[in-house]
Amino acid sequence: MPKTADLLPGTLDMLILKAVSLKPLHGYGVLLRIRQISGDALEIPQGSLYPALYRLEQQELISAEWAQSDNNRRAKYYTLTAAGRRRLKDETAGWNRLAAAIAAALNTKPEEV
Amino acid sequence: MVRSLRSFFRSLTSSLTSRHSFEAAMSDELRFHLEQYTADLVRSGVTPEEAARRARIEFGALSSVKEECREAKGMHFIEALYRQWRYAIRMMRKSPGFAATAILTLAICLGANLMIFAVIDSILLRPLPLPEAERLVTIFNTYPKAGVDRDGSSLTNYYERRGRIKAFASLALYRPGTAIVGGPGATEREAITRITPDFFSAIGVRPAIGRAFTEEETTFRTDSVAIITDSYWKQRFNADPNVVGRRVRVDGLSKLVVGVLPPEFRFLSSQAGIYLPLSSRLQDRSQDRRHSGGNSTHMIARLTPEATVAVAQSQIDAHNASVEGESENAKRMADAGFRSLVVSLHTDHVATIRPALLLLQAGVFVLLLIGVVNLINLLLIRANGRGKELAVRQSLGATQSQLVSEVVIETTVLALVAGVLGFVGAAGATELLGILGADRLPLGSNIAFDARVGLVAMAGAVVIGIVLAAPIAWFNIHRPMGLALQSETRSGTASHGVQRLRYAFLVTQIAMAFVLLAGTGLLALSLKQAMAISPGFRSENILTGQVSMPWGSYANVFQRLAFVENVMREIAKQPGVASAGLITNVPLSGNAGKSAATIEGHVLKPGEPPHGIYSYGVGGDYFDTMGFSLRSGRFLTDADSRRAERVCVVDEDIAKRYWPNADPIGRRLWQGFQRPGEASEADLFTVVGVVGRVKQAGLTEDSDQGAIYYPYAHRSDSEAYLVVRTAQAPESLALTMQKVVRQVDRDLPVTDIRSMEARIASSLSTRRSPALLSGIFSLVAILLTAIGTYGVLSYAVAQRRREIGVRMALGAQPQQIRIQFLRLALSLIIPGAILGLIGAIMTGQAMQSILFQLPALNWDVLGGAGSVIALVTLIACLLPSHRAARISPLEALADQ
Repeated sequence: MPKTADLLPGTLDMLILKAVSLKPLHGYGVLLRIRQISGDALEIPQGSLYPALYRLEQQELISAEWAQSDNNRRAKYYTLTAAGRRRLKDETAGWNRLAAAIAAALNTKPEEV
Repeated sequence: MVRSLRSFFRSLTSSLTSRHSFEAAMSDELRFHLEQYTADLVRSGVTPEEAARRARIEFGALSSVKEECREAKGMHFIEALYRQWRYAIRMMRKSPGFAATAILTLAICLGANLMIFAVIDSILLRPLPLPEAERLVTIFNTYPKAGVDRDGSSLTNYYERRGRIKAFASLALYRPGTAIVGGPGATEREAITRITPDFFSAIGVRPAIGRAFTEEETTFRTDSVAIITDSYWKQRFNADPNVVGRRVRVDGLSKLVVGVLPPEFRFLSSQAGIYLPLSSRLQDRSQDRRHSGGNSTHMIARLTPEATVAVAQSQIDAHNASVEGESENAKRMADAGFRSLVVSLHTDHVATIRPALLLLQAGVFVLLLIGVVNLINLLLIRANGRGKELAVRQSLGATQSQLVSEVVIETTVLALVAGVLGFVGAAGATELLGILGADRLPLGSNIAFDARVGLVAMAGAVVIGIVLAAPIAWFNIHRPMGLALQSETRSGTASHGVQRLRYAFLVTQIAMAFVLLAGTGLLALSLKQAMAISPGFRSENILTGQVSMPWGSYANVFQRLAFVENVMREIAKQPGVASAGLITNVPLSGNAGKSAATIEGHVLKPGEPPHGIYSYGVGGDYFDTMGFSLRSGRFLTDADSRRAERVCVVDEDIAKRYWPNADPIGRRLWQGFQRPGEASEADLFTVVGVVGRVKQAGLTEDSDQGAIYYPYAHRSDSEAYLVVRTAQAPESLALTMQKVVRQVDRDLPVTDIRSMEARIASSLSTRRSPALLSGIFSLVAILLTAIGTYGVLSYAVAQRRREIGVRMALGAQPQQIRIQFLRLALSLIIPGAILGLIGAIMTGQAMQSILFQLPALNWDVLGGAGSVIALVTLIACLLPSHRAARISPLEALADQ
């Protein structure tokens, strides 16, 4: 099992939006998808997934719909809304800026000061 | 912000409408997750049982995840409220007796408060139903040193002031009265009001149809016009849209209808259906008529938006000083303390009943406090009984805010149910207000139980709910949890702090009941004193009725005299009539007016105020019929009106004031003010008799103004009261009285037919109703206090059951146990009584102004109230003490 990382606070929403942006997913699918696209590095605490989904739905960033699952069962599928798409774009850009800045800061060598 | 509000409302509505489907969907979704995960685990080689276990563990507590989801969707608030509401209902169902007691107590207390509040609200608080009513004032003349507190305003005042007082945007006069309305054979006496043309513009009302009066319509030759109210228009003119131009007969004269008032028009307590111009001759407006207001003509004004009452008052004072000048008459008026007072119209109109209403509200509020304290004590006892349950829940993670909101919701639900019941009950009991005479109060017809009162009821209920919850919530939070969990009884331990709180509440309750009862005692004693007063005549078996002779057919005194003589002669012949008389104004009718007289040979000393004297014209056998006492000389007879010699009768106050050491018989006086040297000898009246003093304005009046009775021919008015002494029940002659008057003049109705005793009773209604109401309040208060005492004591006994059992097992005598609890009772009753005594003394002081011939400190009342309270609370203590003494040691110790 590869080493897993703890989720930074505030990043769960972003990951969910990303996961749902690729393809409509049910809750359990979101969990699997995040694990998959992070190369099994990120483990979502199962209990906090659903409150986050409900919160995003409440904010109209994702919408939900009941549909048949692959194994022919009724499941609630989440899709990204237009507002969710914009939010994901903003957050991705923000994250990249932050990550670049932090990386630059951490890579600073003594002679560069 | 808008977005979050919108989403809040969406979640609120969606959660209200689809709470059930939301819950079901959420459960489905979470179950789907768990099943998928379990299946995946099984596929990776875990046994099904182990997989299910791991899935559950990794997912976490399902209920808390659900709660977080609800919170995320904004469902949590509603959910919590709903859950606590259900809890509150469940608690009530579990102890229906408690819930019923609590709701009933609150409903009675709240209902009584709402009833009084509705009266106060419509009479004292709501502005008059006129535009910008707060700018309306009334102006009246007062001569306090002459014993005339109020004398209206004169026509002269009006014409002199109009347009000259800067603080007044407009100024008007009105004169309420009655008139015979209708054609021959179908006449009725109706309330009317005569007004100056600017009256309606001053009060801010425009006729809905037609126009107001004009300045040209204020002389007797040009005043044949009338404005009618909406209800008169609907009843008498069938709401004819072309009513302007039609005619109405008033006092035998035909008047042209020129306007109809809007439906919502209401002026103070006026019942008048017809408004007529207040006509006058030029000499009625002259300077020497300035002080002849006569308390029948009233002045109102609308202040300019920037003016205040104080500014208006100073301008009126300055104006009075400038028109009065330095004349001898001005000096005499100054000696009488003359001033014209400017008072807010609303305040002035309700001034007489304000203290009694506020007192009642205070009394009924104390009742509410007693009820609330009672409930707090009951709730504290019950909360104590649930100590262990709460401690367990707290240790399982119930938060403080949950415990608090739970209590608040429960008590608020109780209070709201009680509020609705109380409101419905009070609204249903409006008839009771009618019985108590509330609709006869000024503005009493405005009393309404409407949304406004309902809103106050609900707001009050919520406040009460919170007040009830506060001590309980505090107690629940601060209870030492560990102790409750360790103690072996189901109820947990009692905290000493809470016990002290309970006892303190009980002491307060006893004190408040004491105060209420003592206040009632003072009112009742005061009423009894007032009822015991002799009016100065024999009031039993007298029937009275009012006739008014219209100016049209009774313009001169001989016409009026002839009518009076005819009626007297005819009515004396009727079976059942012992004797009959007539007077311009019957005692205790509530509208006695005073005027001046000039005593021959009596020179006013410098600074001596002239006296206002009750002056009457009498006909028939008035004195004998009323049962006046004769001090010396003789009564007036019918013949005195026809004799050339002018005579009069004075009462003992006049005799004492002007001829203290001499025989008043044969002395002489003039009607009205006469300047020395100008008065004619021929106008003198010779005193032929002295009669006893009678109460003129009210039984409780305490003045020696004096009264002079003239023969009817020398002092008559358009209005007169018939008085008949009967051999049987006086009311049975009411029809006879009407028939006789119609025989003499078929257009004259007799109105306001009442026995003299009924008049006396209604003159006391402002004393009787508060006494009766506060009596009812006190009764409820005592009952509540008894229940409260009983409850607290019973609880003390139940709590110490084991202790008592042990002591009895060790040989304590039942008597000792009983005494122990009685001592506890006394330790509560005595401080309660002492506090109550102090409160009652203070209340008595505050009530002094409405008490009649009673010192504020009345030991009989205080002692009586104290004994009643002590007795009732002691009895309430006896039963629990007795029960304590009968506790069987075996049972008590075996008990859980």
